Amino acid sequence: MKKRQLWVVLAVMVMVIGFAFGAVAEEGVTDTEIHIGQWGPQTGPAAAWGSVARGTAVYFKMINAAGGIHGRKIVYHMFDDGYNPAKTMAGVKELQEGVGIFAWASGVGTAPGMAVRKYLMERKVPWVGAASGSHYWITPPEKYQFATYPLYFNEAMALVAYAVNNLGSKKIAMAYQNDGYGKNGLEGAENMLKRHGLELVAKVPVEVKDKDMKSHVMKMKQAGADTVLLWVSPTHGLTIMGTAKAMQFAPQWMSTSTLSDFPFMYKISKGLWQGVITGSFAELPDSKNPLMKKYKKAYEKYAAKEERWGVFFYAGFGFIEPMVEALHRSGRDLTRERFVKEMEGIRNFKGIMGTINFKPFDPKDPSSRLGTNEVFLVKCLADGKYEVLTSWLTVK
Amino acid sequence: MDMKRDYYEDLQLFSSGVIFFWFTVLIIFLAVFPFLVKNYYVYVANFMAINIIVALGLNILVGYTGQISLGHAGFFAIGAYGTIVLMTRAGLPFLLALPVSGLIASLFGFLLGLPALRLKGPYLVIATLGFGLTITQIIGRLEFFGGRDGLHAPELTIGPWHLNSDRHFYYLLITITVLMTVAARNLIKTKVGRAFIAIRDADIAAETMGVNLVLYKTLAFALSAFYAGIAGGLYAFVLRFIEPEIFTLMMSIMFLAMIVVGGLGSIMGSIAGAGLLSWMDLQLRNILSIPYLGEWLENFSRSYFSTTGISNIQFIVFGSIMILIMLFEPLGIYGIWIRIKKYWKTWPF
Amino acid sequence: MLDFLQIVVNGIAVGSSYALMGLAMVIIYKTSEVPNFAQGEMALISTYFAYMLIEYHGLPYYVAFPAALIFSAVLGCILEFAVLRRAKEPNILGMIVITIGMEMVLLGLVSWKFGADPKTMAFPILPYDSIALGKIYISTLEVLTLVVVLFLTGALFLFFRFSKLGLAMKATQQNSTAARLMGIRTHRILMVTWGISSFVGCTAGLLIAPVAMQPFMMWDPLLKGFAAAVMGGMTSLPGAVIGAYLLGIIENLFGGYVSIEFKSVVAFLIIVMVLCVKPSGLFARHYVKKV
Repeated sequence: MKKRQLWVVLAVMVMVIGFAFGAVAEEGVTDTEIHIGQWGPQTGPAAAWGSVARGTAVYFKMINAAGGIHGRKIVYHMFDDGYNPAKTMAGVKELQEGVGIFAWASGVGTAPGMAVRKYLMERKVPWVGAASGSHYWITPPEKYQFATYPLYFNEAMALVAYAVNNLGSKKIAMAYQNDGYGKNGLEGAENMLKRHGLELVAKVPVEVKDKDMKSHVMKMKQAGADTVLLWVSPTHGLTIMGTAKAMQFAPQWMSTSTLSDFPFMYKISKGLWQGVITGSFAELPDSKNPLMKKYKKAYEKYAAKEERWGVFFYAGFGFIEPMVEALHRSGRDLTRERFVKEMEGIRNFKGIMGTINFKPFDPKDPSSRLGTNEVFLVKCLADGKYEVLTSWLTVK
Repeated sequence: MDMKRDYYEDLQLFSSGVIFFWFTVLIIFLAVFPFLVKNYYVYVANFMAINIIVALGLNILVGYTGQISLGHAGFFAIGAYGTIVLMTRAGLPFLLALPVSGLIASLFGFLLGLPALRLKGPYLVIATLGFGLTITQIIGRLEFFGGRDGLHAPELTIGPWHLNSDRHFYYLLITITVLMTVAARNLIKTKVGRAFIAIRDADIAAETMGVNLVLYKTLAFALSAFYAGIAGGLYAFVLRFIEPEIFTLMMSIMFLAMIVVGGLGSIMGSIAGAGLLSWMDLQLRNILSIPYLGEWLENFSRSYFSTTGISNIQFIVFGSIMILIMLFEPLGIYGIWIRIKKYWKTWPF
Repeated sequence: MLDFLQIVVNGIAVGSSYALMGLAMVIIYKTSEVPNFAQGEMALISTYFAYMLIEYHGLPYYVAFPAALIFSAVLGCILEFAVLRRAKEPNILGMIVITIGMEMVLLGLVSWKFGADPKTMAFPILPYDSIALGKIYISTLEVLTLVVVLFLTGALFLFFRFSKLGLAMKATQQNSTAARLMGIRTHRILMVTWGISSFVGCTAGLLIAPVAMQPFMMWDPLLKGFAAAVMGGMTSLPGAVIGAYLLGIIENLFGGYVSIEFKSVVAFLIIVMVLCVKPSGLFARHYVKKV
């Protein structure tokens, strides 16, 4: 009998403690600290995108060195999930329930993000700036999730519009990664072509695991494409263009912002990248923008020596600029509700990405949770230099 | 003490009161476990339990029947997709959808078992490996299964209970795991189990003794796939979101590694191996936050390696542990356990 | 017709890298019956070793490449000597798991040192140049790979058939106890086998790296090479090479005329079908176990 009582007491205590935390103070905020988390693949096949999370780390170091946010330092918890949703879930749960995270920043990958999305939204934990432009993050929109990456859909539309209007392309082919990333781009491209009364002359799915791209290139060559849109990973892009070069197939290459790191791509492609047109969702690496200069200084000061000043490094800053802005605006009295209100109040905010606007939450309006759809187009010149083709634009 | 004096003794679930006692203690521990730890560890336990179910099934195939499979992620995927699709599209309740998708998986297992009748060693490896890759490719192609966008698990309600938190789901999962464990143990003691072992030890001799090779080899595949299917169905509800890319070849390789590291042909080995490897899989990412060691590793990487790739240390540790266990104990963790038992039995002599 | 020929040529070009990995796997399997899952990563680390010599130490490729090949051979020997030989009462599955463990360790080391960013290797010929046979194109790098495959296959074939060491290897494979009684140091033979195999794998890595190198680059060639070797019979060197080219051609034909999405997996389906008819592959004599 006594034992049973003991268990009951224990169970009640656990419950009380569990509930009590939620009531007393906002989770993840103390007098001196704000806890922010992020997952990012540092290992495994997608590890090349891990630089986003490391970029965010440098961003927070910079903010903390400047005194933090209203006297609070940001404590940044980043973990490696190896692009495995089971591990993402594990890490998010461990940090959320163990440390208590105020809000989550960026996070690479569709599957990892989708696995934890529901969990975070049910707990009303804000999540800002998922590091991909797929529409999953805003369909349906969730009150606590804010997307800042322009949709692949719109980016593809912008690229195709440019190809048709400015380059006079008639036969556009597309190689897309066979998953959400590639298919979002595919839908956008097809949508824009339809408006011009055109169709893709070839659409070629690229499996993530495949290495040999010869059949893919053959398909596009057979179709006689004059412009090819690549919605694939950098290595696949490289292989496709190399194979095409060897087969004497030389269309105008276009690609997504994911492959817009020209100095890098130019170097590893041994010059092949020259002439490629891509979208870009953030300022260029050599930009004279004062914010970019400031960020680059932080990079030189805090980043590891092997770290590359690439798009997906400073995107780790860019994706969550509005988050930091909203934290500033929330003032000392920081709660999640307040934070979300301040996020919603962000209008015409300009960081290193396109102009960001949020609106009060409307479950029927995805754009209330999509900060920006602005991209601009650039072309790769010799030595990986950029030529800016358009200003910031939104194609609807 | 370990000697079996008659057949019925061999059949007993608990060979002695002591074992029954410890079994009861274990059950009680499992029952109160969620109240003793943070929710996160309940999630880890759920993850382990799922891997244990797969390992049990795979051990029937590999450890007891002497076949090999690098395609179990495929069965796992069939179970996961089957359960969700049967629930959302056909409206079946979970407790029905789960075994049905297990049966679907076992049907595929049976089909894969057919070519396996003639194949051995690396030939079987490639055939099963191809199966695993093909299944996810097909699922990814079919919009009915959500294509590459994946599927969300529906809310889970059994009778009056809502099992949508880790703690609640834990009880369902542990019940199923214990049942599956007992079932596997009993199966091995029956005629079927002995036929499996006979096939493993010498298939031609077994056939001359009247063991139907076609029947029992395909049965082993089907049973093993059933376990993987059930585990997959449960996994879908632990993760609550599935897409084809989750079920990779690496997953199949891990399943195989679990039973080999744990101990082939042993129930306890399956449990220990699956437990250890899934724990390492989830926990090793924290290796850099171990005090002193983490800092030392960071400095070490700064001077000799790179700090951007520092997380890869977890692979090195993972691989090394696997190698070391296999080098020193070909029977895996189970072998270590036997040795410890032997040592203490005659202690202090 | 032109397209068809081009597709076949493409298939052959792709098959070459499968062939090299297939050869490497067969060499080890022939003597120890272990499918070596670390094969790809052994090649990977050797390739990155060459990369390191070129990029970090400024050595020219004609020093770095031979150095990498020697490194790979030594690495193979060391792994056999230091890891596999230490296994107590080894069984095949245990050995497979050890090679999987080695794979993880080597992959971890490479990613730890070099990070995950894609890189390319400096190479004497530009991988994007091609030779035109009429209107059919094949890149110079692929021609080079093809030549390397043919040369290595020939050399290995002759080596196994006629050299003393090769014969000793054959003897070890057929009956290691008897071989030991005949005065063959079977341990040393195994070690040399691993060295040769690692060397062959390294050539594959070096020939893949000029286009794009990253830590996971050897996975696909390894799997396809393994599959090709299985189709060819797993114990036959020419079998592995022919299997690899068949695989490359089938893949590309299927990708060209039926479905690109299923291009990679169809290879495995065909292998299963081949195995149903010939359970020991196309070119190995079916080994019937005596009771």
